[in-house]
Amino acid sequence: MTAAQLRGWLLRVWVALVFAFLMLPVVVIALASFSRTSYLTIPPKGLTLRWFGAVLGDPEYVHAIGFSLSLALVATLGSLAAGVAASYALIRRRVPGGALVSALLNAPLIFPGVVVGVALLQFYALVHMNGTLAGLALAHMVITVPYVVRAVMASLQGIDPELESAARVLGASGPVAFFTVTLPLIRPGIAAGALFSFIVSFDNVPVSIFLLGAGQMTLPVKIFTAIEYGVDPSIAAISTMLIALTGLGLAAAERWIGFHRFV
Amino acid sequence: MTGARGWGLLLPVILLLLVAFLLPVGMMVPTSFRPYVPLVGITSGFTIGYYTKLVTDSYYLEIIGRTLALGLTVTLCTLVIGYPLAFFLARTRSRWRNWLSILVVFPLLLNLVVRTFGWIALLAQNGLVNQALQALGVVQEPVKLLFNFAGLLIGLTHIFLPFMVLVLIGPIQNIPRDVEDAARVLGASWGSAFLRVTLPLSAPGILSGSILVFVLTISALVTPRLLGGPTYQVMSTLIYDEFLQRLNWPAGSAEALLLTVMVLVLVFLSGVLARGTGARA
Repeated sequence: MTAAQLRGWLLRVWVALVFAFLMLPVVVIALASFSRTSYLTIPPKGLTLRWFGAVLGDPEYVHAIGFSLSLALVATLGSLAAGVAASYALIRRRVPGGALVSALLNAPLIFPGVVVGVALLQFYALVHMNGTLAGLALAHMVITVPYVVRAVMASLQGIDPELESAARVLGASGPVAFFTVTLPLIRPGIAAGALFSFIVSFDNVPVSIFLLGAGQMTLPVKIFTAIEYGVDPSIAAISTMLIALTGLGLAAAERWIGFHRFV
Repeated sequence: MTGARGWGLLLPVILLLLVAFLLPVGMMVPTSFRPYVPLVGITSGFTIGYYTKLVTDSYYLEIIGRTLALGLTVTLCTLVIGYPLAFFLARTRSRWRNWLSILVVFPLLLNLVVRTFGWIALLAQNGLVNQALQALGVVQEPVKLLFNFAGLLIGLTHIFLPFMVLVLIGPIQNIPRDVEDAARVLGASWGSAFLRVTLPLSAPGILSGSILVFVLTISALVTPRLLGGPTYQVMSTLIYDEFLQRLNWPAGSAEALLLTVMVLVLVFLSGVLARGTGARA
């Protein structure tokens, strides 16, 4: 074997080990969720679906799942509306101060989530918006809109502006030209941005945990507090469901819009 | 004309970020100078006490030092572990390449609490890691891997490794293969060609990946809380307790602003450094 071949094999072994490391906790949770024991054990003892039944029969979990889904949907729709408009302005219009707006739009990406959370906790207390769904949705829009803008801007950059101009010349009004020509062309970017936004909102803990009011509970915060209370296989079961859904969603996104281009 | 219409389209986003982001964060500045009296609440005086405590009290200095040490070690670990993977993904012509990249993204999109939960199961006293170490005869007694530096280091390295890999792939792809071949033709060994050509040319990626992972690590809340418990504190868990347990919002605001300043200074420095090396951050 030549030195080059040896290096190639060593690199492949390293890559396989790193992927094993990345997938290790995922596999462990999935296995633990099928254990018959009432405590968490790996490898699982016996095989049962009882913990999945326990989660789906628990009204607290069911409510948290519904609440998280609705919150993520509202935040994503809001972020899409505001984000697509902003991306279009930043790419197609020469806006004075556009660079500053871009920088501001990227800020929530690097800003510590916990700081956004506590800042809004104090602010909402002052303006009497604490514990409201609107406050929570606005907070989630702040952390999701940068993802929409990034994906949509990437998509817009690849589209020839002349196409929309051509539609205008042929008599289409500005909005008609945008909605019938440009919007269909940037659909992959919008889909990727929406997916990112939905996942970021659905997964968030550091912002939500400070803003949830009485009777409000998101799924990740529910799991977070359940773990702090004590580890049991029903947490593994709900985790396994999330793993399966995330995996399926990602595979579908890759098939349909070539998701890897947007990361 | 076009400028005005552009502003109209930008208005919703600007309003959102002003009202629900910049204003609330800015309002923590006055709060951080208010005295807090237990059982009474926030009073109307003025104090710089929370800031002086942060930079003089050994309790806070230890937490700040621990946070920065974690940031540094997690960054180094993700770089060492992730660079070869990024190199492989950047160079491979395998038809599985896109799906392998998706496999790197997958843990990133998987719920953070779920990933951290996996590490609790792995790192516990009777967890899989300790079982394996004992079976292999590496240790006799279970090793403590939760509620200490080692646990946080392992968990955070796992959480942020995909970021490092994804940032590195692009810059490595952009290195022209000819440059490496030229070095080899001129007599450089593979090792010295890598160290003196490939690695320096991927410096922009290394810089932005490192800054990103460092910033994310010192800001992380969920993983340090679950793997470190209420006793092994970092800055973000300290802020969490200040606001939700002790209800000392002025102290919490001062700590949150310090963390923010640390993050912003790092991001600013990386911008300056990147311009210095002629690269984009």
